[in-house]
Amino acid sequence: MQPFAISVQNVHKSYGKTRAVNGLSFVVRQAECFGLLGPNGAGKTTMMAMMYGKAERDASPAGVIDVLGFDPQYNPLNVRHLLGVVPQDDNLDGELNVYQNLSLFAKFYGLSGNAAKAAIERLLETMELTDKKRSKIRELSGGMRRRLIIARALLNDPKILILDEPTTGLDPQVRHMIWDTLRLMKKNGITMLLSTHYMEEAFQLCDNLIIMHKGEKVIEGRPRELLDQSIEKYVLDIVNKEHEDRIKGYLDSPLIRADLSKETLHIYSNHIDTLNEIAARLEPGDYFLRAGNLEDLFIKATGRALDDPA
Amino acid sequence: MTTPHNSDGNRAYPSLMMRLYSVWYRHMRVYRSNLLSNGLPPFLEPLIFLAGIGLGLGKYVPSFGSVPYVGFLAMGLPITTAMMTASFECTFGTFINIEFNKVYDGMLAAPLSVNNLIIGEMLWAGTKGFFFAFAVVVVAVPFGIIPLPGGLITPFIGFITGLMFASLSLLVTSFVKTISFFNFYFTGFLSPMFFLSGVVFPVGELPQPLRYAAEALPLTHPVRLARALCLGELRVALLFDVLYITAFIALFGYLALKRLRGRLID
Repeated sequence: MQPFAISVQNVHKSYGKTRAVNGLSFVVRQAECFGLLGPNGAGKTTMMAMMYGKAERDASPAGVIDVLGFDPQYNPLNVRHLLGVVPQDDNLDGELNVYQNLSLFAKFYGLSGNAAKAAIERLLETMELTDKKRSKIRELSGGMRRRLIIARALLNDPKILILDEPTTGLDPQVRHMIWDTLRLMKKNGITMLLSTHYMEEAFQLCDNLIIMHKGEKVIEGRPRELLDQSIEKYVLDIVNKEHEDRIKGYLDSPLIRADLSKETLHIYSNHIDTLNEIAARLEPGDYFLRAGNLEDLFIKATGRALDDPA
Repeated sequence: MTTPHNSDGNRAYPSLMMRLYSVWYRHMRVYRSNLLSNGLPPFLEPLIFLAGIGLGLGKYVPSFGSVPYVGFLAMGLPITTAMMTASFECTFGTFINIEFNKVYDGMLAAPLSVNNLIIGEMLWAGTKGFFFAFAVVVVAVPFGIIPLPGGLITPFIGFITGLMFASLSLLVTSFVKTISFFNFYFTGFLSPMFFLSGVVFPVGELPQPLRYAAEALPLTHPVRLARALCLGELRVALLFDVLYITAFIALFGYLALKRLRGRLID
């Protein structure tokens, strides 16, 4: 068995003149959860689509994608048979009910009879959907649909799960339930590739992650180590800049890094004393002092500009 | 689980036949879930049509040779019905599955290829062609206007007609960006063809230039084939129709596969 589940080397993907993925490389080890982070339009979904042959990489410059020993572009069926995909869009079959959606996919995987039935019942149980077995898709809430899509992806005992923003738009209860399920899957040895822009999600689930920006990798590492190494320990968010002139002298200090967004001044530093000193010159309520987190790292890596597709 | 394993310990995906069957099964399952609204009209429609023509218009129209007009019409009707149902399935139906509810995107995460999806869809359209043609035959036989046993072959020509218009319609669909565009295809192409393909009157009655045009139209050939087989009038010239049909399905099927692949795979 090769030590890695997925290997991506120098992969490019353009749509016309737009470069969605630009020379991306990374390796996902067996049974780890690997995070693809980045703002909207960073190329996460495109990268995931190339993982199971739903999108094809550019022929030149030449790149390599290896998923469990197969190239998804040339052996899509081998890859799809070993993979579970949880897409960003809800693409359940609205013409069929919950149970039929699963039994249809069981058929696609070549499961039939009692094996299919047992797998479906077990997954309905895991995803807490047993009561909804005969419901139509349009009768389900967003959270239920998402759980059904995850159940569908798990039908064939996948070796790898591809999760494209699995909890976007869900309430905290469902989100935590999905996190628990994914942790359980990881314990069972399933490799996971997860895209998200929730930093907490990445922090909770991922062993390794990369942050992407405009199709390129800008940072790679373990979440805990990235926090320790790549972002300052403390952040002072100054939400009311009325008294900004009182702290002007500090802004050039080598001990801090200041970053201005539209209305808020963010001051990053490893020295809590310096930040306390600045805070003392402001009015209470003008600022929040907090620990640096992955979101700060994310913004440091990808900038504050909104990346709306043109 | 009973999935077969190959020597690498990697599980093997289902065979081509199983994959095509499972795509076909999906469409059948959806169709079956609305059995009453889907299953009844194919029988009612020809009944109304034949009653209207047979009791009304038919009285004013002379027989064509030994066949009364209503019989002439009834032998072509299963084929046009098969054409329409396959065309609806592979235009509006396919477009919705690709663009609106993204069902095909979902299916492409399972071990199915784009070709499996499209060929499975064609086979389903053929099946519907068979069923709709069969419904017309069932309605017409008790009135003695479609002869037996020749009429029993008609549903099979319905199947082939379904494949023809599935191929063509899928190719049309591959170009379509907005769903209302299909109106051109239906009112601009399929409906006029109904009148020019030997369904309502023999192609031989057309002026010479239009006769060539009629021979070029796809509907002419399965209609001629179905009527000849119904009446047991086999002749060598029918081989030309068989050849046309085969080439038509192969050509348009191939082009549709090629174009839709580009639409479904980024």
